[in-house]
Amino acid sequence: MIRRQIPFLLALWKANLQAAMEYRGAFLAQVLGMMLNNAVYFVFWILFFDRFKQVNGWNLNDMLLLFGIAAGSFGLGVFLFGNLMFLGDIIAKGRLDYYLSLPRPVLLHALASRSITSGLGDFTYGMISFMLAGQFGADTMARFFLGLISATAVFVGFMVLVQSLAFWLGNSSALAQLALNAIVTFALYPISLFDNTAKFLLFTLVPAAFMGAIPAGFVRSFSWSALAQLTLAAIVFLGLAVWTFRRGLRRYESGSAIQIET
Amino acid sequence: MTAIVVRELTKNFQTKRKAAGLGASLRALYRPEYHTVEAVRGISFQMEAGELLGFIGPNGAGKSTTIKILTGILYPTSGQVSVLGYTPWTQRRQLAYHIGTVFGQRPQLWYHLPAIDTFSLFGKIYELDDREVKKRIQFLAEAFEIRDLLETPVRKLSLGQRMRCEIAASLLHRPSLLLLDEPSIGLDVVAKQQIRDTIRQMNEVEKVGVLLTSHDAGDLEALCKRVIIINHGQIVYEDKVSTLKRRHLTTKDVGVRYAAEIAPDFKIPGAETIKVGKYGAKLRFDTRQTPVETILSRLAAAGAVADITISDPSLEDVIATIYQQATPQQSEVGEN
Repeated sequence: MIRRQIPFLLALWKANLQAAMEYRGAFLAQVLGMMLNNAVYFVFWILFFDRFKQVNGWNLNDMLLLFGIAAGSFGLGVFLFGNLMFLGDIIAKGRLDYYLSLPRPVLLHALASRSITSGLGDFTYGMISFMLAGQFGADTMARFFLGLISATAVFVGFMVLVQSLAFWLGNSSALAQLALNAIVTFALYPISLFDNTAKFLLFTLVPAAFMGAIPAGFVRSFSWSALAQLTLAAIVFLGLAVWTFRRGLRRYESGSAIQIET
Repeated sequence: MTAIVVRELTKNFQTKRKAAGLGASLRALYRPEYHTVEAVRGISFQMEAGELLGFIGPNGAGKSTTIKILTGILYPTSGQVSVLGYTPWTQRRQLAYHIGTVFGQRPQLWYHLPAIDTFSLFGKIYELDDREVKKRIQFLAEAFEIRDLLETPVRKLSLGQRMRCEIAASLLHRPSLLLLDEPSIGLDVVAKQQIRDTIRQMNEVEKVGVLLTSHDAGDLEALCKRVIIINHGQIVYEDKVSTLKRRHLTTKDVGVRYAAEIAPDFKIPGAETIKVGKYGAKLRFDTRQTPVETILSRLAAAGAVADITISDPSLEDVIATIYQQATPQQSEVGEN
């Protein structure tokens, strides 16, 4: 079932890349611009740790790993599944019709039908950040790869979940923007800064912990508990996203979810 | 063989109703009021394989809803539908391999890419063999005269060129049924004609059945043998296009021009005066009451005729008359 979708997904990504290459200048500007943007943001942490060396057990090296995972997973998510930023709008405007008229899984097709070019900049920045952390052992790289995949799955799942509320709310773009800002912002802070209530929220309502601190900690040192958390979080958030989207799709197919043209 | 069978198809939508004003908006927040819109009300029809069937009606008549049910995008409130032996809303993906769809107002070609790239992508979507796709693209490029357009980014094509590419894309996987929703919308006369020619050609060559919705009676006249007219969610007319013309084209329009000035109250017995000018007039008459030759001789008797034209009213006028006549209770359904 999944294997059957791989050539199709590759073809979609190829088409996205071709479309981006139609505007080579803009493509390069977006990728490089985003890398620069992230780098400037990171300068704050360099200055911070230059003065304090450690904050609640986190040092500059941990921040490099955290940025590696967070920027990498965000970049990968929006580059490969760019419509996760616009899904609510697609639903509200009835544009799922197109995906419903073709013989492919609707959610997968819709998500991968667009690519956000600057995501490639975020992804590349994440990889550079990981390399700057200077941990090149095979086991560390394998853990980084696993952490990145899990963080991407949680990020994509969370965004799909929020965007799918458009099936019921009609318009979820403001909410989706809020959710995006929240998950990205909180993913970029050392989790030890937060108290228990905030931590609980970062594991559940806005699962930023799974997009930053937990996978970054897993890269630093292996633990079965972290591996279990990463696997479970990826499954739960993807599962919830698909379930919610399917429930919503039934509403969409009834025609009452959105303004319909008769 | 029957391609489409629709029995007692009904589709209701629940929509929120809200009165004007801020107060009503706030009330609607905690106690929304719903009302039911009956978009399709118990329609039944059949379409044979390879047939060219026109499905026309004004805005909001239920055409798009019906097409969306036939493709499996919407499920119905009640009724039975079989498209190529599939129930669309439960077997949507299996059905999608055998039908092609074009929604005139919803492009499927990637805007920033040349059409040929979308064609290749469609090859993957429908799981076609790469060599087969190449051959098919060559064939369609010839048939639709789009060889020179395929490499140009779609955003640089004219609407007519784009629509030809859209229809070609929908035929890539050799569907046996094509559902076209307003394919000629917004096109100029020449582009419309090209689209019609290619649709007719594909119907003849590949025997692909075409269900076509349109506002434009010209599409119907040029393409379809049979027509279903839908209004207020019900079928108000179903018959051959030729019968429609014969039964409802009973009046003729006459334009006449005289060598000398005519009176401002120019009248011909047996004809209705539509417009009077300085030298000529436009009249309409019913051929069942007044034969053409009688009108001609009366026109000649009124003065020295310089020019004369006799024409049928447009099919658009005829259909407008049927819409007006047919209230939901007074449907006119033919023998087909």
